[in-house]
Amino acid sequence: MAVTQSSTFRFSRHFTDVLSHGYILLMCVVFVMPFLAIFQYSLWKGATLSLDGILGNYQFVFGSFLTNLQNSLMVTVTAITISFLISLPAAYAIVRYTFPGKRLVLSFLSISLYVPAVTLGLGLILLYNFGHLFIGSIWSVVFAMVVGTYPLMLTPLIVALKDLPPSFEEAAYCLGASRWQVLTRIVLPLIGQGIAAGVLLSFIIVFNEYLVTLFVVGTIPSLQTAPLRIFGLIRTAGLLNTTAALAAAMQIVSFVVVIAFFRIVGTRYLKGTYLI
Amino acid sequence: MSRVRLVNISKSFGNAVAVNDVNLDIAEGEFVTLLGPSGCGKTTTLRMIAGLVEPSAGEIYFDDQLVNPLPPNRRNIGFVFQTHSLFPHMTVADNIAFGLSVKGEDKKKIQARVEEMLALVDLQGYEKRMPAQLSGGQQQRVALARVLATNPRVLLFDEPLSALDRNLRDTLKYNIRDLQRKTRKTAIYVTHDQSEAFAISDRIFVMNQGHVEQVGTQLDIYLRPQTQFVAEFIGANNALSGQVVSTGETVGGRDVWIRVQDQRLRARDDVGLRNGDRVLAYVRPENIRVLEDGAGANFLNTVEGTIETIIFEGSTVHFDARVGESVLRVELAGTERLTVLNREGARVRLGFNEVTLIKI
Repeated sequence: MAVTQSSTFRFSRHFTDVLSHGYILLMCVVFVMPFLAIFQYSLWKGATLSLDGILGNYQFVFGSFLTNLQNSLMVTVTAITISFLISLPAAYAIVRYTFPGKRLVLSFLSISLYVPAVTLGLGLILLYNFGHLFIGSIWSVVFAMVVGTYPLMLTPLIVALKDLPPSFEEAAYCLGASRWQVLTRIVLPLIGQGIAAGVLLSFIIVFNEYLVTLFVVGTIPSLQTAPLRIFGLIRTAGLLNTTAALAAAMQIVSFVVVIAFFRIVGTRYLKGTYLI
Repeated sequence: MSRVRLVNISKSFGNAVAVNDVNLDIAEGEFVTLLGPSGCGKTTTLRMIAGLVEPSAGEIYFDDQLVNPLPPNRRNIGFVFQTHSLFPHMTVADNIAFGLSVKGEDKKKIQARVEEMLALVDLQGYEKRMPAQLSGGQQQRVALARVLATNPRVLLFDEPLSALDRNLRDTLKYNIRDLQRKTRKTAIYVTHDQSEAFAISDRIFVMNQGHVEQVGTQLDIYLRPQTQFVAEFIGANNALSGQVVSTGETVGGRDVWIRVQDQRLRARDDVGLRNGDRVLAYVRPENIRVLEDGAGANFLNTVEGTIETIIFEGSTVHFDARVGESVLRVELAGTERLTVLNREGARVRLGFNEVTLIKI
């Protein structure tokens, strides 16, 4: 015998569903609006939408803005690679070994996450000037990014290594593998998701980073990254369609990377970072 | 196929002594078990033989080679872990092939060897499965195949069956033993489970608190325990403390009489006791018989007691009998076991011959 719900109950359930779905949709629209605005503006020439506009604006992205995009990508990729090469041994030591002051070391390594960007930027300028380091070179930005985003790579690696029982490495070792073989054939594949999480977090932050980069190369146009160029143009030339096209291009790159990551890997290894 | 010797091996972690001056001599092709409760140092000892832990003192030899300076990947051993050891991102075939592939072996040779190993553990056809798709028993069989593939000279087992259920444990332990016999490899097995150790070992090293209490075959350890720990850890036992009051020579050897509270017990003396020595007298529950009226003349010792709780376990019945101030656990098997049912509170006469003595 089927149990029928009263029609009032069904109506109020339905009403709550509509309200909650509506609320979520509203929030989605609110958050997406700035990006829609940029995207829409990048398709216009002047005050109207035109094919001429679309082609012209995006041609600018690959023309005049190309150096900036290249700087952004170069800095991002290099900083992520260096971050990884330094984080992996650190994470391994922290998880697999005991040594005095471990908690202190971990706190120190995470400091740059909690330091205001302005402080970090100023500190780096002082370091570069008085240490005569990286003067007039894109490496000044790379170094700044590594220092500023290092914890974002370290933390997912620590989580992934903690989740990896030591018996896998021990088994491989007892079977005759060298330390290098254990690392490349057992450890790295099994912490792949942790590495991907670190790469994603670092990418998001470094690719879009503005403030510290401004401190470090704000005065050197040829070394400017895309965010710097965009802001500079807004201040000098106002709201240009071409500027919007550059911003939209950056946006599209970020979206693609993030969505691809969540589709492939999931959210597990982002625990402990300030983004999740 | 190596002889394994541990000479004065010790290990401390900070101030905690885990292994204290252990000496082991294991013959080629022998299957020995390190048996003891949790925390007795057996796993630490095994890991030192493997090279996963460095000894604080002492030497380890495989045949005549000192292996202390060698890391695990140069000792040519096979280590079977309790759990979490099959590489989850590789197929069964790749897991078994791992030891050979890291040495750069020829692909065809590796494939042939993998097939050979799968046949050995009766898992043909499982090459492409992933470890997560296997049952616990199958995983351990693949782990066995994996360590045998490299033809190690010593096999080391760290409680490999503890994570499996009872029935599986019972069959798998014989599989392990059969494989070891077939491949004639020296095997060192760690467990806390006595029946496992007894079922498959050639010799057993009973360990407690970092040292070896007794070494011997199953018979040695069960029938002739040499320390209080071994007498009480191996099998159930009744412990009575008392004092030697007289000694004497008989046809079979030396006998002693011991006063235990208000009783006098007679026991064979293999230890060389003198009047006044304090001893622990052990009587196994299965050696005690319930005497019907008048019977008992053929027992060295007879006592009287009151039956307390009776437990019917199926093939055995056991009960506690209060004898004076002590309590004796009695275990009966066979048809006689049914005769004590429903006799809680009754007075009975008990008889026994075998008494093991440990001097304290």
